[in-house]
Amino acid sequence: MSTIRLENLVKKFGDFTALKTMDLEIADGEFMALLGPSGCGKSTTMNMIAGMEEPTSGRILFGDRNMSGVPMGRRGVGFVFQNYAIFTHMTVRQNLSYGPRMHGAPKAETDRRVGAIAELLQLTALLDRRADRLSVNILQRVAIGRSAIMEPVIFLLDEPLSNVDAAFRAVMRTELKHLQRQFRQTMVYVTHDQLEAMTMADRIAVMDHGVLQQVGTPLDVYNNPANVFVARFIGAPGMNLLPGRPAESDRGLVIDLGPLGATAPLPERLANALRGHSGEILFGFRPEQATLAGEGRGIAAQVTAVERIGARTIVHLGEGASAIKVVLNNDQQAALGASAIVTPNMDAVRIFNRATGQAIGGSGNG
Amino acid sequence: MNVATASEDAMAMLAAEGRAVARDEAARLGFRLALPAQILVLFIAVFPLLMQLYISLTDWSPLSGLGWWNAWELWNSFANYTDLAADKRFWSALWRTFVVMIVCVPVEFLLGLGLAMLFADDFPGKRLFYSILLMPMMVVPAVAGYMFFMLFQSGGPMNDILSALTGSRVAIAWLSDPTLALAAVMMADIWQWTPLMFLILLAGLVGVPEDQMKAATLLGANAWQRFTTIVLPKMKTIIIIALAIRVIENFKIFDTLYIMTGGGPGVATETISVYIYKLTTQDLIWGYVAAIALAILLVLSIATVFAMKRMAAAREARA
Repeated sequence: MSTIRLENLVKKFGDFTALKTMDLEIADGEFMALLGPSGCGKSTTMNMIAGMEEPTSGRILFGDRNMSGVPMGRRGVGFVFQNYAIFTHMTVRQNLSYGPRMHGAPKAETDRRVGAIAELLQLTALLDRRADRLSVNILQRVAIGRSAIMEPVIFLLDEPLSNVDAAFRAVMRTELKHLQRQFRQTMVYVTHDQLEAMTMADRIAVMDHGVLQQVGTPLDVYNNPANVFVARFIGAPGMNLLPGRPAESDRGLVIDLGPLGATAPLPERLANALRGHSGEILFGFRPEQATLAGEGRGIAAQVTAVERIGARTIVHLGEGASAIKVVLNNDQQAALGASAIVTPNMDAVRIFNRATGQAIGGSGNG
Repeated sequence: MNVATASEDAMAMLAAEGRAVARDEAARLGFRLALPAQILVLFIAVFPLLMQLYISLTDWSPLSGLGWWNAWELWNSFANYTDLAADKRFWSALWRTFVVMIVCVPVEFLLGLGLAMLFADDFPGKRLFYSILLMPMMVVPAVAGYMFFMLFQSGGPMNDILSALTGSRVAIAWLSDPTLALAAVMMADIWQWTPLMFLILLAGLVGVPEDQMKAATLLGANAWQRFTTIVLPKMKTIIIIALAIRVIENFKIFDTLYIMTGGGPGVATETISVYIYKLTTQDLIWGYVAAIALAILLVLSIATVFAMKRMAAAREARA
């Protein structure tokens, strides 16, 4: 078991900078998700941890050991590939025993270890099946078992669920999390699916354009996005962000949203943080943290679309920069074209500097 | 309701009949369309084979003054085949052909595999070397024969190189020495056909999944272990194909060799093709030649069937 420390990690491919800079500390036994859209540098980061690629500059430390120059076969890293990279010309048993065999482990010991890992992963009955005719969930278990048998200090998983259909993903998420609890290894999990990151990870590192945007627990990242990118990227749909300016009123500090009117007074902490800030800001609130009414005080907008997603209903209001989404329970009605008043829960409101995109005032209530 | 069902049944029957008629018609049309090609195949493959079989049972020769169809007048039953069994020159030619194959094909395979592994990675000037490497394959075999004929003259470049290396004047008469002549002929074959082996094996090597190679590396396999546990098993089919092509081709070795040595000195480099060529053009005993050719065809066919079976088994194991 080992901590992983990334220090000033930079990776360039010719003129292209895949990773601008990366500092991250992953605790022993932690499940860390690297989350971000394609091309954000998350896989590059992972490949460097595994040793498949050398960083252009910066250091990677496992515990206190500097890993630069250590070839990938000697890093003690378990790696589960996106397509599992199972040796298709071998049986399940030969796949599982590959690592010990290559290290010249005695046959009896190899057999014992294969037996144990197969038992743990429920592969015992499949041991003598050829690996090229297995279903995806079994392939995944073989891939995990093949790495786990080496008892790696660190386990890296590169989007292992992206080839699986949606229904199966839920099953595999539970299975993976369960396995991690059993192995108690430090796990780094690369994904572009926030649901996977949210449900499995102890902490999430959100990345974009080769820059680490925020590191925190799933709830922290969801509730208190550090910047506009995280606010938009996390959550389905992402956070509503309305341009405006702070303005004093007789009820306290409010946000002037221009044509949409003014908001209710900000909670004290936000108001204090915002006083003296004269520039444009983005007024942010989660679609789940707002109510819709026919009339009253709040942000007035017209319903432009109603999206039913089963458990909930997403109501789209307004257009362009002032587009708002509100997630409602199915029993609440919203007629297409009707005027409605959106009332955000002011305790859950987040404010961002429009110019820099950074959050102002930090966390509100959590 | 019943009426409706009945009429529907009738309709279905009619439709089925219509389909059957259409199928018949399609089959007839297909037959007519394939007929010219089939006749062609009959004339270029089946007819010569039967003709050969016929002639091989006679003492017919173009000098006999008979048309080949009248060869039955010179019927000798199986005398050609019994002669063949006792023909020492034939058996030694066959043995020599076999020796050439047993040396050339493995050498070409190992060189080709080594080069393919070299070319699977990138290095500066790769494209240039790639083109140079493929060039021998494009040289007309007769021209290659002359090239090597010149190279191995006693005053030729080969001896010059050896002289330069050893520091004393070397004047080996390569093509006049029975053993060295065979070696020279083999070198020419290896020079010309290693590129084909390289090309086929490179295609196979590129097809080995990179992520499985990486997975093996991560699991601690060294380069040699990766080669034996991943690369070779994945390339099994393509290796068998490459070997089969070269074995069959090498068995028919002729043009380069004939220009270099003409089968000599004596019969030192006389392979089966050279022997047949001489019997055909010098001895003119065509009935006997036909018998030899048929015997070889039989042997090669058996070998090919065997190789194909192995290949199918390998594919089966992989699928």
